Amino acid sequence: MRVILAALAVIAIVSFGSAPLHFIGTPAEPHQVEVTAKRFSYEPAEITVKKGEPVELILKSVDVPHGLKFRELNVEVKAGKGKTGEVEFTPEKTGDFVGHCSVFCGSGHGSMELTLHVVE
Amino acid sequence: MRRMRSVLLVVGGVGLIAMGGCKATPPGRFETRVMTTAKHRVLIGNRRQKNPLAATPATISDGKEAFGHYCVACHGMDGQNTGVPFTMSPPAPSLASRDVQDYSDGQLKWVIDYGIWPSGMPGSKGTLSDEEIWSIVVFLRHLPAAGSLGEPDMYTH
Repeated sequence: MRVILAALAVIAIVSFGSAPLHFIGTPAEPHQVEVTAKRFSYEPAEITVKKGEPVELILKSVDVPHGLKFRELNVEVKAGKGKTGEVEFTPEKTGDFVGHCSVFCGSGHGSMELTLHVVE
Repeated sequence: MRRMRSVLLVVGGVGLIAMGGCKATPPGRFETRVMTTAKHRVLIGNRRQKNPLAATPATISDGKEAFGHYCVACHGMDGQNTGVPFTMSPPAPSLASRDVQDYSDGQLKWVIDYGIWPSGMPGSKGTLSDEEIWSIVVFLRHLPAAGSLGEPDMYTH
């Protein structure tokens, strides 16, 4: 009996090891969101993502260095002058979260806002 | 008409000479007390608003960074005027002083938002976000020792 169980276990392990990856389940591709930053606004100024869905936030600056920080979510991305920056995160709570520019960019820096809607 | 112009010139000249002879002296204790009370009780608003940010190492660090954007030009890295190579009139106070620290958090936010006219303190509403300004208020409550952060970069390059 013990021998049979051991044989079954070996067969199961071998079968499992050779199973295609999608059978086991691969991590979902992150939802890519592109945001363009310029003095002194974001485009788009509102984005919507789902709770629990991985997000790749891509920030592109078209002029001076900018950043985007959501304090409540502990998420921040920065983009150098004319460059792009990325950050990945998974929102774990629903709600509206306002992000601000985190790299001082001039007289209207404090007015740069982007609202992130996290929905079920 | 010509006579009128001459009279105005003479009056203007006398006025300028008289003004030149004026001497501004520092305010006395009574004047200082009256003005300080007026600022703390009447002129600076927002006395009751609470800071929505908790005082954590991260918030203090954020406030220090936001303070570094341009407050340092007049207040120094430490908020105590270290390394500022000029004196304004009236002089920028040490932000560690009792006069400043006695303001409520809401009042400090108000001062940063709207400035203090006619002193050199400008308003920063819109230039800094509310979140940055509140983090600066947290930093002001946890200022480092005078001189411990060195001098502002803008004066050393």
